[in-house]
Amino acid sequence: MATFFHILKYKFLSFMKSTFDRRMVSAVRGLGSLVVFGGFAVVAYLLAFGVTKFVLEQTRLSLFVYHRFISMMLFVLFVSVNMGNIIVSYATLYKSSEVGYLFTKPVSFMQIFLLKFLDNFLYSSTTFFLMVFMALLGYGAYFGYAWYTLLAVMLFVLLPYLFLSACVAVLILMSLMKAASKLGFRKVLGGLAILYIAVVVLFFQVSNPVTLVQKTQGMDLNADGYIKALDSGLLSNLPNAWASNVLFFIARGDSALAVTHAAQLLLVTIAMFAVVLFVAHRFYYKSWLVTFEFQARSNTVQSGRRLKLFDFRKKSTLSPQMESLLKKEYFQFFRDASQWIHLALMAVLVAVFALSVGNVNLKLRVITIQTVGYLVLYAFGGFLSCSLALRFIFPAVSMEGNSFWSQLSAPLNRKKPFFVKFAIGFLLVLMPALLVAVFSNAPFVRTFEQRPLLMYFGIFSAFWVSLTLVSLNLGLGGYFANYKERNPIRLASSQGATLTFLMSLVYLVSLVSIVIIPLTEYFQSLFQFFPFEMSTIVAPATTFYMLSASLSAFALVVGLRSLQRDF
Amino acid sequence: MIELRNVTKKFGSFTAVDNISLVVPPGEFFGFLGPNGAGKTTTIKMMTGLFAPTSGEILINGFDVVKEPMKAKSYTSYVPDQPFLYDKLTGREFLYFIGGLYKMEKKAIARKIEEVIEHFEIGEWVDKWTEDYSQGMRQRVTIAAALVHEPKVFIIDEPMVGLDPKSSKIVRETLRMMARQGASIFMSTHSLPIAEELCDRVGFVKDGRLVFLGTQENLQAYKQKYDGKFESVFLELTK
Repeated sequence: MATFFHILKYKFLSFMKSTFDRRMVSAVRGLGSLVVFGGFAVVAYLLAFGVTKFVLEQTRLSLFVYHRFISMMLFVLFVSVNMGNIIVSYATLYKSSEVGYLFTKPVSFMQIFLLKFLDNFLYSSTTFFLMVFMALLGYGAYFGYAWYTLLAVMLFVLLPYLFLSACVAVLILMSLMKAASKLGFRKVLGGLAILYIAVVVLFFQVSNPVTLVQKTQGMDLNADGYIKALDSGLLSNLPNAWASNVLFFIARGDSALAVTHAAQLLLVTIAMFAVVLFVAHRFYYKSWLVTFEFQARSNTVQSGRRLKLFDFRKKSTLSPQMESLLKKEYFQFFRDASQWIHLALMAVLVAVFALSVGNVNLKLRVITIQTVGYLVLYAFGGFLSCSLALRFIFPAVSMEGNSFWSQLSAPLNRKKPFFVKFAIGFLLVLMPALLVAVFSNAPFVRTFEQRPLLMYFGIFSAFWVSLTLVSLNLGLGGYFANYKERNPIRLASSQGATLTFLMSLVYLVSLVSIVIIPLTEYFQSLFQFFPFEMSTIVAPATTFYMLSASLSAFALVVGLRSLQRDF
Repeated sequence: MIELRNVTKKFGSFTAVDNISLVVPPGEFFGFLGPNGAGKTTTIKMMTGLFAPTSGEILINGFDVVKEPMKAKSYTSYVPDQPFLYDKLTGREFLYFIGGLYKMEKKAIARKIEEVIEHFEIGEWVDKWTEDYSQGMRQRVTIAAALVHEPKVFIIDEPMVGLDPKSSKIVRETLRMMARQGASIFMSTHSLPIAEELCDRVGFVKDGRLVFLGTQENLQAYKQKYDGKFESVFLELTK
């Protein structure tokens, strides 16, 4: 293990030096990140505290049902961490030059595996740790827990929970590599994407929040029979249920049961980690070698093949520069499995979301609830756009990598590649945003006698939000460009990316606060049957437009200027 | 023609290139030599528009690289010291990509690509993704890409790194032929025999300053002051 710690020491030193270098620009960036991260952490804390207070005091939902909701959120967290780790692990365990280098040194395969596995887990989950911890603090503050209780929950429940997700991820990945060597990479990844969507859809079919609330109505909320009636079957044996049960039993003051569930989770995590080590010991190096074989098989393009739309040999009506840039973008994206598979997965999730909200009955007749219901859907749609922009637009400039010399030294205006990326990114974010806007506004239009104002607002909003988010992510992606990093997932989870994501969320919150009053007035006019005064939306719409346009312009200027820097 | 006028590049308080002036006329093969960290690559990056000079001017065929970059670059081809290519493109696609950036017609690109494929003997590899290429193969494709648009100014940084003897011979002959056809060749190299074999004129740079600028004849005369070896001149000038 001496070698392991020796490498770890130097990786740590490298990380510390790059994180805390003494240049002024880094200090300013670091301070900015600290402020935004800190602000976001405070929001996570306040939100967890406020939601807990609201659900337990204002609604009729019991402690148990609330913890079932927490269980569902933990499931989503598990799937997110799991997917993130599969994609990042593929890049770092199989494609990293560092791994190739270490294999030439007297370092055991297991040590290399362990280093990269922990590296992935810590790198791709740091933001999750922070937010989960702050949410836990907010939740704990409501119940008045002691600091050591919260620390114990973080260390012995939530961290093992996230770690378990990462272990499952790397096991899936190694199995995939084995299967891909026989079936082909695209087929296997496509199958995995379908499997994931099926699991998520099935989970929410079986544990539907609305059904849960309906089931619990009229039950004696304090009887154990109530819990047993609901807490059965496969779902109660999933790790997310164990983790939420720990919180539930602590809240009920039943320490023994809390410890039992925590121990269950901890033991399963340890067992899963042991399985990971065993499988890696048997299979990691072999599967690493396999990647070379199928890569060599799949990386040849037949020169005599039929001309397709994006074939470089095909004539185009575009200018030669524009054609070259567009085709290059196309091939670089669709030949990179970590890019297209993630996009396909997100596209399906957007479609599932759009279709689900399209059928919701939203005639709630209580103005506040109606407004909040609308804004929740609105914010969720915005959040999807934020995620898409962060994952695919932010890394776009950095993904040029060291090969960018070929464009920068050519007689090519630097605005061109930037705006090609902008146009592609805008379409990529706008299409799903419009889909979500149309489907999420359709029930409101349907419910309120075909009045299309909300639909118009949805489309106006989708356009400006997409434009702003793409500008922000492309511009700041250029400002924080790292041409040495080849992994788009790592780029999208870097410090600069997180800062951009948090800025995007602040922008979304600002939009919600701009539209909340006119929206309430609009629902008021519908429910109380008086005409809606259109002049009331002029000021908010202008503010909305000015905010989006100025933020877009600022980000695009920053991005373009960053391309003028020395390469 | 390449013209550098009092070119300086500073990174903070560090001066990487210090007031360099030189002219490379059409048809001349110029060798730019110096120890590691002397400022060779920084100078080249300024000539190709990858770095902005802190002061001074760089003219390519009379066009200022900073003020009229599109015109200046349209005459230039650059081969970097590390042959980075887009890893998900094939060699052939990369060649088409470069041809497009130089606004060439599709037919002309296709014809030129066939020529360079044959010339650099890359037919076996040209339809594979470049991420599978060896260093030498990348270098060959990069040099081939630099020839696609028939440049008037050829700027090449350490051209022989990673090339096998056969490829090295092909590249040397190609560069010589280009110079004969009237192109200005600006080559940075560590290889003294190559500089001696190919260059009409050489410049030695040390700590960002040009410490020697002369023709092969000047250099031969200078060599005689020492033990007649190029290596001794290099060590003396750069010590």
